[in-house]
Amino acid sequence: MTELLVVLQIAGRRCAVSAHDVKSVIELGTVTPVPRTPDFIAGIAALRSQSLTVIDCRRALGFESSQWPTDERAAVIANGGHSYALVVDRVEDITTATGAPGQVPGGFGPAWSRVATGMTETRTGPVLLLDLAMLIAGPEGARGEIETVA
Amino acid sequence: MDDLLAEFIAETREMLEASGGEIVAWEADPADRARLDAIFRFVHTVKGNCGFFDFPRLAALSHAAEDALADCRAGRREPDQALVSAVLAVIDRIALMIDAIEAGEGLPEGDDAALIALLDVSRETWFEEGSDASEPAVNPAQEPREEAPEPGNADQPAPLRRSDPAAQRTIRLPVELLDRVMSGVSDMVLARNDLAHRLRQAGNQPTIDGPFERLTAILSDVRDAITRMRMQRIETLFGVLPRLVRDLSAELGKQVMVDLDGGDVELDREMIETIRDPLTHLIRNAIDHGIEAPAARLAEGKREIGLLTIAARQSGNTIAIQISDDGRGLDEDRIAAKAIATGLITPAERSAMSREKLVNLIFEPGFSTAETVSSVSGRGVGLDVVRQNLERVGGTIRVASQPGEGTQFTLQLPLTLSIIAGLTVDVGPQRFAIPQAYVEEIVQATHQALDFTRMGEAALVTFRGNRIPCLMLAEVLGLEDAASDARELTLVLLRLASGDLFALAVDRIHSHGDLVVKPLAPAVMKCGLYAGSTLLDDGQPVLLLDVANIAASHALVTDGRARVLQPSMPETAVEADAPRAMLFTDFTGRRSAVRLELVQRIETAPTSAIDTSGQRPRVVIDGTILPLVGLPETPVTRDKLRLLRLADGVCEVLYAVREVEDAVALTGALVAVPEDPLIEAMTLVGGEPVVLIDAHALFAAHGTPAPSATIARPRCTLPDSDWARTILAPLVTSAGYDILPEGSAAEPGAVAIMSEDMFEVAETLGRVPEGPVIRLRDHPEETPGSATIYRYDREALLAALSALRHARAAGDNRP
Repeated sequence: MTELLVVLQIAGRRCAVSAHDVKSVIELGTVTPVPRTPDFIAGIAALRSQSLTVIDCRRALGFESSQWPTDERAAVIANGGHSYALVVDRVEDITTATGAPGQVPGGFGPAWSRVATGMTETRTGPVLLLDLAMLIAGPEGARGEIETVA
Repeated sequence: MDDLLAEFIAETREMLEASGGEIVAWEADPADRARLDAIFRFVHTVKGNCGFFDFPRLAALSHAAEDALADCRAGRREPDQALVSAVLAVIDRIALMIDAIEAGEGLPEGDDAALIALLDVSRETWFEEGSDASEPAVNPAQEPREEAPEPGNADQPAPLRRSDPAAQRTIRLPVELLDRVMSGVSDMVLARNDLAHRLRQAGNQPTIDGPFERLTAILSDVRDAITRMRMQRIETLFGVLPRLVRDLSAELGKQVMVDLDGGDVELDREMIETIRDPLTHLIRNAIDHGIEAPAARLAEGKREIGLLTIAARQSGNTIAIQISDDGRGLDEDRIAAKAIATGLITPAERSAMSREKLVNLIFEPGFSTAETVSSVSGRGVGLDVVRQNLERVGGTIRVASQPGEGTQFTLQLPLTLSIIAGLTVDVGPQRFAIPQAYVEEIVQATHQALDFTRMGEAALVTFRGNRIPCLMLAEVLGLEDAASDARELTLVLLRLASGDLFALAVDRIHSHGDLVVKPLAPAVMKCGLYAGSTLLDDGQPVLLLDVANIAASHALVTDGRARVLQPSMPETAVEADAPRAMLFTDFTGRRSAVRLELVQRIETAPTSAIDTSGQRPRVVIDGTILPLVGLPETPVTRDKLRLLRLADGVCEVLYAVREVEDAVALTGALVAVPEDPLIEAMTLVGGEPVVLIDAHALFAAHGTPAPSATIARPRCTLPDSDWARTILAPLVTSAGYDILPEGSAAEPGAVAIMSEDMFEVAETLGRVPEGPVIRLRDHPEETPGSATIYRYDREALLAALSALRHARAAGDNRP
């Protein structure tokens, strides 16, 4: 298994997404807030002529983002025809998985189970593999919240 | 080889789409030689192309169809229902195979022998038996053939595409590549803007500015071209419709003829995709619910075959698509019953509703009149979804229907999804864009002038005598509402597709221009406030407000309920209280007011538009020359003048002012000022004296009817002489009179200008004109005892004309 992974630190935990999904890592400039959206949507930003939806991954998992440091850099991913910039604690490294993905007995806990597809070993230690589609969908609670707003 | 195959697949696909319509048209009129040729060309091309590849089944199928059609072309066989169905089946099979080939799968299982048998090429027996008998029947097929440019010869198939000599040369490109080019051009524009900004900072540099200008021009050309690349003929959407109609009507046991019009209208590619489903839905509806079964139609005295017309028209930057059927029309009573049953309207409201309003209830959520759910329409997806889909792209839908005669759905769509005209506004620290299409007017005034009132959480403003709901954008967006206490309100009046008007209060208007709209991520779209995002020239992303949705979520879109409620709104309560006036300072420094009803708008005109060479100053506004009053006696030193545009319904007069202050209610007592005819009264506003301009005197003195005025100008008859025609007529016309042609019957009230001699003659004959008469004398010296005017005494002549005219105007004004 030699899949390239981008290692990100989210809410103090080491996570990884497939390097295929990450289009680039950018210095995030001005983020325009989007009023009346769930708080995990930090806003929109421009990447050249493209518009990016900025997702605060800590909040998307249901954590308070103020507890964690924020990297200037964000990972740009594409999902469902739209581009997103992921705000994380830190964009750590690019590495290769050394083992096959596996599960942890007892699960990853409620917040993480929703977005985690499993764990894998890398040269720099174990990381949690994330499902990007679930991550950018935001915390489960957000759905009800949006409905009341709309 | 792969490229060749891809080319083959793409070409076949394209022809498949195009031929769907041809086949149905051919079926309707088997004698239509042109259609037959088109279908023949299709199968022939497929057959020919198969030769390059190893697709024996495809080759066999197309070959069989080609043979059958060739027989028809040669007149050896008459196309009938069975043949058309068989050819259709073959084409369907070909489409399936093409799909499979493209997907890289094996060809679908199945034997084509049965299909080929249906085509029945080996019908020689039938042909031989029936050749004599069918001879007369073949005749109709032969007649149009004579008109065909090339009499059919089955052995030499017509050269391909010969009907299209002027066809444009085209290439096929992947859509993704187009999008990349498009975004590249957008990047270039942003880079250019950045560069422009830096150049401005660096000051004028002639060596750079020239090439930079050129770059700018080229870029805007390229951008236009790219935009056009995204356009597609609506034909691509229409092409599949005949087939759809045919299949649906066959399934439902109805006979429907489809008539397509306006296929050459171009629409944004994405837009075509967006309307595909709504259009299909409406067609299904029309066939299922609208058009009656043949027997029912005959009983109604209609043609057995129903007619479905789909027409596209472009007007400005919108496209209208109309889908009409000649079916039974919408059942008013059933819609009403359903609407009442679902609580959409009350019985009382129903009785107050017009048919038009009522039938448009079918777009309300949860509405569906179909009692039984058929397989074709009524799968739980109602017309509300159709409307929603259209509104999402800024479109609208309306329905009109006459019982027993048919139903018309009209779709209005913006030309393109991606570039719209928009207005950018500021709220607090943030900037938002509003599609220009909704913007009716921008109003900037004080709370008091707009009569801004809070009703609970809601707010109302009074504008032109109407109470209009007002949304504070900051509140809608849940932003800190810092500016609501400010004295001035900036309102954007928005007119919804339903005709409802509402005001959106913002902090500032920023600018307007073309916006390139990008889609937003679904998580952002979910909140229902935004329709997309756009990048400003400085690269800053800005959110585009979804006006329709915002209005809907604040219940500002009238459905049946609200429309009935509307008349009970206290519209004129405020009006009656006190007269309202526009307060201003004129050039003598006098504080003045003019009644608000007279003020059309405030104009700003450059000083160059003002002409003071004549006796009375004029000003050119929007290409019209209008009288101007209130100018200072000294020449104007400013570049621009503020002008109040006053109108009495017929005439317009511009009033130059030094400063426009405010619209106020005249609550103080009006004190008449008889010594000054130009002043109606004096009053107190805020404890200070203000003179109220006498509009009557103003218009009486300066009003010239607008060119479009419907009121008849006073008329005048002139003496029959060259002098009158060339010298007198222009003077009389400029005094505001219409010249009656010579010899026309004297009109009552018309002013007659005659020479003294003529008048005397008329007097002795007892034929003095009924109306007022102006008598002209040839000599400057006055003849004692007769009221005449020397014919070159311009002043006196004009005065006489003007006096008669005012007498007349005063007479008209008096009820």
